[in-house]
Amino acid sequence: MSIADLAPARKAAAATVTGIAGSDRGETLTCVFAVRGGGEALAASASASACAGYSDAAGAPYLLPLGESGSGLWAVAQDVPAARYAEQALRERLADHTELEAMARMHHEAVSSSAAVGPVVPLPLATLFTDRDRARETLSQQVTRFRAVLDRVRGREEWAVKVYANAAANAEAAAAAAANEGASGTAKATRTTGRVSGSAYLDRVRSRQRDRQARQDAALACAARVDDAIRALAVDAVRRRPHGPDITGRHRPQILNAAYLLDVDRTDEFNAAIASIKAGEAGEAERAPIEIEVSGPWVPYSFVESGGSA
Amino acid sequence: MGALLVRRVGRLGVSADGRVVAWRGPDSGAPIGVPLVDLLDRVLATGVVIEGDLVIAIAEVPLVRLSLRALLASVSDKVPAPWDDGGPL
Repeated sequence: MSIADLAPARKAAAATVTGIAGSDRGETLTCVFAVRGGGEALAASASASACAGYSDAAGAPYLLPLGESGSGLWAVAQDVPAARYAEQALRERLADHTELEAMARMHHEAVSSSAAVGPVVPLPLATLFTDRDRARETLSQQVTRFRAVLDRVRGREEWAVKVYANAAANAEAAAAAAANEGASGTAKATRTTGRVSGSAYLDRVRSRQRDRQARQDAALACAARVDDAIRALAVDAVRRRPHGPDITGRHRPQILNAAYLLDVDRTDEFNAAIASIKAGEAGEAERAPIEIEVSGPWVPYSFVESGGSA
Repeated sequence: MGALLVRRVGRLGVSADGRVVAWRGPDSGAPIGVPLVDLLDRVLATGVVIEGDLVIAIAEVPLVRLSLRALLASVSDKVPAPWDDGGPL
């Protein structure tokens, strides 16, 4: 289900909340999407129109100045109804996967649209404060840290690269190996001479195990080559846990789930490197042992922790 | 800065050669179509965690995070061994 499908229901819910909360204007929380830099003029020009936010919020997103006056750091924030965003309500909503997806996408849209006018420090989904003063007070304590992150990600973007073992190619290789066994007469010998059938069977099992291990090693080596090649272009890299078969599909094991922080100027090199790797791997065999999936460019979500490197 | 935005989108349009699966990225302003698993990897698991307010209650209670992940089946709870189903044979 898309956000568009959810919109009418969400608007109705928001209207109800507004009706209840109308008698008490204090019933909002302050949600912060990101922190960004920029002078007063930039902030003024982008504040109203450029940033998306939650569709069930109490108002449009705004910029909250952080630190001392003129610090040039802003929180991209939005006031949201407590009836939907207070802890218990939020837990219940986030336990519903359509709500979670809608919130994640809206959060991402807010972060990304803020990033259109300069570097941002994304904050995690549902970073909530009891009010604007608390948000400002808390975030202002981190001004130095935010500045360091903004310097680090300025002019850079994150790209996600995932590598899967190509199960179809592996299955073909296995079938070919089995066919060779049959052609060599081993299977026939096994059937006709009872005395050797045990050892022949074990040979076959061992041979299959060796082949399988070789294919696994080959795929992992391919993934390592991909990682090395992209790392060489990147400012930084992070490897995440690979996703399990419940996400990737049982016959498509994921062997690399990485993110790379790249200078914007190196995007062409990155794309060329991926294309070259794909062409190279495909050339080694009839079917490439791996599949490569790229997504991006992302706001540098994975590179905002201090240190950041993995 | 507007010029930067246009340049970046243009660059991608030129350089994507069909072999690279790249969507237009956050600059497109169209989040629908952003790969959900990649998005959750980022929105839930990364970012600067701010200490000292409601944030902690929502984002740092492990049970909440785990239940979210489990419900969406979007991020694996354990590190899966590749070929843990015995491989392609």
